[in-house]
Amino acid sequence: MPNIREIRERIESIKQILKITNAMYLISSSKLKKARKALDSTEPYFYKLQETVESVLEHTPHMRQLYFDKRSNIPEEQRKKGYIVITGDKGLCGSYNHNILKYTEEKLDAAADPGNCYLFVMGQVGRMYFHRRIKSGRKTYVDGEFLYTTQNPTLYRAGEIADIVLEKFKNGELDEVSLLYTDMVTSGTQEVRTVRLLPFERRHFGKAEDGTMKKLPKASFVPSPEKVMDYLIPNYAKGIIYGAMVEAFCCEQHSRMTAMDAATTSAKDMIRELSLLYNRARQAAITQEITEVCGGAVSVDK
Amino acid sequence: MAKTFYLEIIASDRIFFQGDCEHLVITAIDGLLGILAGHEPLVTSLPTGELKYMVDGEWKHAAISEGFIEVMPDKAVILADSCELPEEIDIKRAEEARQRAEEMLRQQQSIREYYETQAALNRAMNRLKISQKHFR
Repeated sequence: MPNIREIRERIESIKQILKITNAMYLISSSKLKKARKALDSTEPYFYKLQETVESVLEHTPHMRQLYFDKRSNIPEEQRKKGYIVITGDKGLCGSYNHNILKYTEEKLDAAADPGNCYLFVMGQVGRMYFHRRIKSGRKTYVDGEFLYTTQNPTLYRAGEIADIVLEKFKNGELDEVSLLYTDMVTSGTQEVRTVRLLPFERRHFGKAEDGTMKKLPKASFVPSPEKVMDYLIPNYAKGIIYGAMVEAFCCEQHSRMTAMDAATTSAKDMIRELSLLYNRARQAAITQEITEVCGGAVSVDK
Repeated sequence: MAKTFYLEIIASDRIFFQGDCEHLVITAIDGLLGILAGHEPLVTSLPTGELKYMVDGEWKHAAISEGFIEVMPDKAVILADSCELPEEIDIKRAEEARQRAEEMLRQQQSIREYYETQAALNRAMNRLKISQKHFR
């Protein structure tokens, strides 16, 4: 029979943890509400931005532009690839961080030369993880000055990040930039995603499905197409990064909420089982005492 | 009733305006630009500045920060970081932002920081200017 005191202490400690998980559940659900609102209000901008930039590109005359430069003269093994990875600032959110980190690892493994991969990690968890990996001998480079939090995303922060990567791309420190983040597909399902940021691709450049050139009216650009693109692409990058940040933050809160909800439920289950055990042990002890008293009384009578 | 075209103004945090508009005046990089229905297709970027559009014969003003406009034969789309009506502008916040930016400009900064602060100052000044001009 288990010790009564031990069981009681165990129940107490589970109750303490239950309080924490329950509080975290409440916090993350209110944060999720806020994040959802932000997501809902940003989504039109996010989609419209993609749509508009695409349609702008259809009307753009062909031109040489910095951000379109594919740098095809550099062989695949020597291309410097930058990845912006969005992770959480804290753990305790189920498999959210694990998924994005595993996905990033896969990307790095698939790369021709991991020494040419540069990581820009947002969020404390991912940063710590990759720093540890480097100490244990991984060659990938992590930007140590890239310190951005994923809490409460702002457009301003997204702008700073966009500036940093665009500048590195301009200087030739990076040849490709992708964004890895968790996307909220529906409110229940999440998916880790890659979005290519640079070099800028034009997917439907002037070609219709049957391969003929589309007859699109050429739009006029004020003051010149290059000038407009110089401005539009940083803006586009900023918008995309911001959208990804909002999505990822929403996902993080959602996973934390689910994880904490599950933890609270299982804590409650454990308490129920343990209190049953506790009562049984208590009853057994009482019964034993009664038998002992009776036995004693009988022996005195004799 | 003048001829109208469909105008969409979408800020990063909300849809600012959607609907038919008669006349639109924006501040482009190299000056003011007026757009009426049937304008030629045009793409240009918008710095922080002022925007006005006419709906039902009435001018509406707004403060806009950094964005771009795409004008197509049937519609126009403006995408901007933020867009506010004069009466929505938080004068206190803008004033604080202005002071903060001015303070920052007095410090020694890296070039990037300098540009960022200048942009912040620009946005704050623009908000203050527009709210003073159109909101009593």
